[in-house]
Amino acid sequence: MSVAQPIIVAVMLLTGAGLVRAADVTVSVTTRGGDSAENAVVVFDPLDAHPAPAHGTATIDQIHKQYVPRVTVLRTGTSVTFPNSDHIRHEVYSLSPAKTFNLKLYAASPPTDVLFDKPGLVVLGCNIHDSMVAFVLVVDSPYFAKVPATGTVVVKLPPGRYRLRVWHEKLATAVVTREVTVADAPTALPVTIDLDPNRDTVAAWPQA
Amino acid sequence: MSLRTRIAVTFLLLLSAVLAAALAVVSAANRANAEREVNRQLDVGASVFSRLLESNRSLLTQAAQAVAADFGFREAVAVRDVPTLESALENAGDRVGAQLVVLTSLDGKVMAAYGSSAVVGSRFAAASGASAGADAPVRVIVDAGRVFQLVTVAVKSPLPVAWISMGFALDDRATRELASVTGLDVTLAYRGADGLRTVSSSLPARESGAAERVSRRIALSDLGGVEVTATLSRSLRAALAPFARLTEVLVFIAVFSVAAFAWAAFWLARTITRPVQALTQAVDRIRGGDYGAPLDVRRPDELGVLADGLQHMQAAVQNRDRSIRRLAYEDPLTSLMNRTAFAEQLAAALRDPAAPPMAVAMINLQRFQRINEHLGYSVGDAVLIRVAARLRAVPWIGSGVARLAADQFAAYAPLPPGTDPETWGRALLAAFSEPVVVENQPIDINTTVGLVVATSVPQGVPPSPDELLRCAELALVRARRDKRDLCLYGESLRPAARDQLSLLGELRRAVDGDELRLHYQPKIELATGRVAGAEVLLRWQHPTRGLLGPGAFVPFAEQTGFIRRITRWTLDRAVAQGAEWYRSGCALSLAVNISAEDLGDLGLLQRVAHSLSRHQLPPSLLTLEITESGFIDDPDRALKLLEGLAALGLNLSVDDFGTGYSSLSHLARMPVHEMKIDRSFVVGLQSQGEYAAVVRSAIDMGHSLGLKVVAEGIEDAASAAMLKSLGCDVAQGYFYAKPMAPDDFAQWLKGQIRIPVIAVPRNFNIDDVGDSMSLAVL
Ligand SMILES: [Cu+2]
Repeated sequence: MSVAQPIIVAVMLLTGAGLVRAADVTVSVTTRGGDSAENAVVVFDPLDAHPAPAHGTATIDQIHKQYVPRVTVLRTGTSVTFPNSDHIRHEVYSLSPAKTFNLKLYAASPPTDVLFDKPGLVVLGCNIHDSMVAFVLVVDSPYFAKVPATGTVVVKLPPGRYRLRVWHEKLATAVVTREVTVADAPTALPVTIDLDPNRDTVAAWPQA
Repeated sequence: MSLRTRIAVTFLLLLSAVLAAALAVVSAANRANAEREVNRQLDVGASVFSRLLESNRSLLTQAAQAVAADFGFREAVAVRDVPTLESALENAGDRVGAQLVVLTSLDGKVMAAYGSSAVVGSRFAAASGASAGADAPVRVIVDAGRVFQLVTVAVKSPLPVAWISMGFALDDRATRELASVTGLDVTLAYRGADGLRTVSSSLPARESGAAERVSRRIALSDLGGVEVTATLSRSLRAALAPFARLTEVLVFIAVFSVAAFAWAAFWLARTITRPVQALTQAVDRIRGGDYGAPLDVRRPDELGVLADGLQHMQAAVQNRDRSIRRLAYEDPLTSLMNRTAFAEQLAAALRDPAAPPMAVAMINLQRFQRINEHLGYSVGDAVLIRVAARLRAVPWIGSGVARLAADQFAAYAPLPPGTDPETWGRALLAAFSEPVVVENQPIDINTTVGLVVATSVPQGVPPSPDELLRCAELALVRARRDKRDLCLYGESLRPAARDQLSLLGELRRAVDGDELRLHYQPKIELATGRVAGAEVLLRWQHPTRGLLGPGAFVPFAEQTGFIRRITRWTLDRAVAQGAEWYRSGCALSLAVNISAEDLGDLGLLQRVAHSLSRHQLPPSLLTLEITESGFIDDPDRALKLLEGLAALGLNLSVDDFGTGYSSLSHLARMPVHEMKIDRSFVVGLQSQGEYAAVVRSAIDMGHSLGLKVVAEGIEDAASAAMLKSLGCDVAQGYFYAKPMAPDDFAQWLKGQIRIPVIAVPRNFNIDDVGDSMSLAVL
């Protein structure tokens, strides 16, 4: 979380630099049982505008045979660095259609960064540690957020019409999609989702 | 069935039954054991089978997981190019030895298949999350007629993206392996549209016969909706095989013991039945009268005891048989044959057609009774023994001698050709020409012999011994009557003999049937013409022949001894009649004839006394007329009897005087009161002059002895007048009156004058009358 927060801030800086008006949309994602849905991802796709491609960087570390963070949301065209903080080697790979790559066993620094140039869900694994799983959600929209432990996140949105998509790795249903119109005022947007804690397959992330 | 067979068969059957039962029990137990063993094996086998499949699944799962984890494979899956996938599946299958590999998406659609009939895009029911992983149950699937054990694992990249199912064919090889591990036969089958179809089996293609098998069916979890079963089975015969050896040994023992037992049973039975057979034969032999052979059964057991007993019994039976035979056929005193034996032996001799003419003699010892009386019975017996010895020595006799009665013997001899039978008869008589000596005392033996030759007897060819004996006896009687010592049976004797045969039976019937009658002929006092009394004469009212006079049957009755019975009857009836007339006031002296034969009757005296007493007739009204010949045989004896009779108070008369040879000295000693001159003299009185002289001297002699003289047979007045002139006292005959029936006689008597008789009834005690002569007339 401490890492994710600056990213969001950065995104907001990038997208909202020239804009005069922006409304704070407070999204609170809870499970049907009332718990906060941490690591859920909310994405607002603008329906009236086409955001320009972005060229950013991101880092997904590997600490104690875990990808950190586990869930990452990126704009299409972001390069991700996979540093290895463990004393053992890891082999990062993805066989997801949105991005297929394989970083052969390495320690410390990876040989290259990986450019995520297509939107979609990329599931990362380690070829020698099956327990290591990370999700990289590559989206075209600049308006997105990852729900913290509090379950509430604020997204600054210029007024307009958006399609809201909410995803979670344990989502029991299809991705929750909602159309929202943002006025020039702070708005609260509560979303309830169903989670299946036993889910071991990937919750789909359909392309827009 | 013989005893031996029965014993042997019984025991054999018993043994066989026992053995059969034992075999049956053992077989049943074996079978039960085998079944239990098979069931236990099936239990174990089923458990092993399940574990085997489990462990197979584990191994297969690991293999499948290894495939699924292969990065290259995962890359191929990620590519989603069907031909590439198919080749990758083939490669994966080959790598782990799976014959069927199906890749399905997470939603169950076939992505690619190898070795399967599954079509890409169709649903593959076998694959699902529940069936995946190491913990999933054993699953089988039927695919294109084959059965596979299926394992399904997830393909992870790194999360599951697809399922890979790998099938391992449960083919013949696999079932054979299962069979070898479980020790059972394994058959896999599934239920198809056309019923249960066997897929694979460890069983031989064609099992010989309908081998009995015990089986256990295990339903395998099926994934494709097709029922798959594994049948574990074991041949009962195979399970019984260890017991079969045991059964073989048992059968061998059974057969051997039956054979040994059969031999032993027959042997034992034979040792029992053989002596029993010998004993049976011995008993048969003894029953047949053969006592000669000894019993050859020497044994220490009960049969030996029985044989000993039988041996003793045989000896005892033999002894008894001998003595019985002796009693039956032998005269104990002289050891001569008795009548039965004689008849049998004679019959046998007569049957021999080659034998010369057979002569049969009957020999009578005269006055033998006197020897017994005077010299004692022991002397008499000794005499008989010596007589027997003499007879045995007579030529041609051989063993043909018998003693028929006390003083009567018989003999037969085959006469050599040309031999006169009388010569043989003389030889018999000659045997006694010398007196026999008993206790140094010579005793004269006089014999009379009656002879017959078998050829002269018309009845029967050959004649029966009885017939011959009868003829010989007739000849003997004739000889005695004629006072000769030898008489040969001839034609003259025959008719009488023949009549007399039936006569005896008829006579018997006559006495019993009351056919005899008494007629009364009056006696007339010549001097006065008064009735002096009457003679009782016997008549036989014969049912067919009419009224017969005594001449027709009395001689015969005398010969046969039947006269005694007739006399008894006559006496009693006459006494009764006399008593009746006496009570009615007509006291008349009645005269009854007593034959010579009757004088031998020791009971005569008592009977007369008893009769008189019973009918209350005064003795003086009864006269007994005794034939002169009666004194000749045994005058002393006759004298004693007459004295006894006279003592009773009776009158005694000598009948037929002049026909016998009685000496005057005898006559003088006898207590008689009258004498009757024989009718032959009276009949000849008119025609022959010398008879008158004889009659006169007889009358004179009678008178000189103090006797009343009676003449009988008077048929005309001339004879009556002559007799009267000769001094005869009383006469009877047709000239005066014929014999009359009692009623006629009583009627006749009414016109006559009777000589008054003073008849006083005398009371005498019958008990005092013995053979004593001292009975006083009171
Ligand atoms: Cu690793």
